Amino acid sequence: MGTANFVLFGVCAFFALAGAVTTVAAQRPLRAAVALLVNIISLAGLYLTLSAHLLAAIQLLVYAGAVVVLFIFVIMLIGPAAEVKGKGEGLPGRTLAIAIMTMVTGTIAFSLVDAAGNWLALRSNPDFGTVEALGAELYSRALVPFEIVSITLLVAIVGAVAIARHRTEGEITEAKAVHAKAVEVREEAKAEAEAAAKATA
Amino acid sequence: MNAWIAISPLLLLVGGGLLVMLVDAFTKERNDLATVTAATLFLSAGVSLFALLSGKDPVDVPEVFGAFLATDRLGLFFDVAIGLGGGLSALLAGGYLREHGLERGEFYVLVIFSAFGAMVLARATDMLTLFVGLETMSLGVYALAGFRRGSPRSIEGALKYFLLGSFAAAILLFGSALIYAATTHTDFAGIGATVAAGDADIKLLLMGLLLVLVGLAFKVSAVPFHMWTPDVYEGAPTPATTFMSVVVKAAAFAVFVRVVITAFGDDLSASSAGGWPPILAGLAVVTMVYGNLAAVGQTSIKRMLAYSSIAHAGYLLVGMAAASVVGEKAISAVLFYLMAYTVSNVLAFGSLILMGSRGREAVSFDDLAGVGRRHPLAALPMVIGVLTLMGFPPTAGFFGKYYVFSAAVEAGGGFVWLAILGVLASAIGAFYYLRVIVAMFMKDPVPGEPVAVPMRSGSVTAALVISGLLVMDMGLMPGSMLDLAIAAAEQLFAG
Repeated sequence: MGTANFVLFGVCAFFALAGAVTTVAAQRPLRAAVALLVNIISLAGLYLTLSAHLLAAIQLLVYAGAVVVLFIFVIMLIGPAAEVKGKGEGLPGRTLAIAIMTMVTGTIAFSLVDAAGNWLALRSNPDFGTVEALGAELYSRALVPFEIVSITLLVAIVGAVAIARHRTEGEITEAKAVHAKAVEVREEAKAEAEAAAKATA
Repeated sequence: MNAWIAISPLLLLVGGGLLVMLVDAFTKERNDLATVTAATLFLSAGVSLFALLSGKDPVDVPEVFGAFLATDRLGLFFDVAIGLGGGLSALLAGGYLREHGLERGEFYVLVIFSAFGAMVLARATDMLTLFVGLETMSLGVYALAGFRRGSPRSIEGALKYFLLGSFAAAILLFGSALIYAATTHTDFAGIGATVAAGDADIKLLLMGLLLVLVGLAFKVSAVPFHMWTPDVYEGAPTPATTFMSVVVKAAAFAVFVRVVITAFGDDLSASSAGGWPPILAGLAVVTMVYGNLAAVGQTSIKRMLAYSSIAHAGYLLVGMAAASVVGEKAISAVLFYLMAYTVSNVLAFGSLILMGSRGREAVSFDDLAGVGRRHPLAALPMVIGVLTLMGFPPTAGFFGKYYVFSAAVEAGGGFVWLAILGVLASAIGAFYYLRVIVAMFMKDPVPGEPVAVPMRSGSVTAALVISGLLVMDMGLMPGSMLDLAIAAAEQLFAG
């Protein structure tokens, strides 16, 4: 690994980690989304150090371009309600989660560092990661999975339509009943609160 | 040409799915969609069954197909299970959706394409096809689970399933990346060959195997990756639950078999000291015990059946673990069990659908109180359904359990204890399965509450008759199905 490559790796790795931690820890959803953007761009940089140029470009286009924008739109649509206040897991839960994650990540990291690096040999091929190499692979050897992906996309579209399409009569009646129940519960809570206020007064 | 014949069950489904989409767009009448969907799936299953029964060796296919999609007997066997389970679910949906005013054509399209994804998954011989098939199947099922938009439970279940399912898929993907790093192969045969030749990085390989197993255990809802199952099964429309419990489970176990036998069938990964057998045995123990114990306390039959499906995943894992010692026998037992479970579960969920009519679904034990005396004929499929899930002779479920446990006993050593535990767990199972029969025949409905009235639907009746006949057929003459399973397992080990 050359010095330039190493510097790029260090910078990208730092920002990827910082972005990831901020995404999880940020209180405000918008900050989390922006931190995610930082993480995604740094990951694209990491792909560059692995000479996966096409993947880096796709990472920027799809994730940084489309996915994060979608996130931000959703946060803006929901408005202030998107902010999570109050309690998450308790301290024991958090400690346990951190312990397990550290264990798993540690094991994976050590086995990766120790690995003989079989896959490093693949990169000695000068074409590795180029658009031509990937395209040739995709349209010749991996043709079958590539064709099946078309059905995957079709399923995703039909599924989205199934969930988003206008409701049938049965569903409207069902939703009305749920709404009525919600209103009822809210009114009851209100009445109770008022009664309690009166009692204290 | 050969390649087209070899994957004709898959092509039939794609064609049928596109046809249903077109018909749905141009017609107001939704009744026939269920029939067309079921016919497509049955046709696909029938073609595969014909190929299986003809007993010919699979045709040679060009490398571009063969490297990614298996054309062997195991694939054909699961085509039959998936086509049958999917078709029966579509028939159930025909009655259910109409009765509860949920009729929309997308349901059937999703069923067909999910079944297509399941068949791809069951035939996957490469991590790439595994992932693509898994996602095709899952995306459809997520939407099916949330199909009932008016119901908060349905939406909650679908969201949980989607989020947890995505995590599981990501873990599986990470695992396959590690396996690739360890072996520089993504095809199962290549992974197996590299490991056997001693060229693989063992630590990385085992880590990858562990993560892939986590992903698969999620899909078959093995404890402790089962958290989503009760909520999703309960919230989803019942035909979607049926589809999930039979098709998704069959396909996930199919790829489970391929991964552990083809990719990790070497002496090291399949040894009882390390590798997958102890992991699967441990999963089997907690899954059987937890699934059965949790099912006991349920008041909703739908939720009880969800826990029962967890328990059945445990019994199947006993067979998978035993496959490390008595390969062919254990795998053929697992295959038979999956086929028996498919028809049994369709029967149980189908009877639950039959019991509810407009405006009132039967879900709890109370809903079924006294149904057996008021409508004895409508209660019959439910009786057979719970008996076969319980493993009562002479039903399909009995021979499923018998073959799996006898394979475990034959494997010897610790596997004998697995079999004993399995039998004990089934005994707990008898308690909650029999409760259904007790509720139907020996309890009176709560006064003042509306009672369940069975629906009248030709397609639901048809599904119940078909699955009921198959349950009894596999229970009285298990030989023919077992022969198919043995032939499929033999070929897996020979190739």
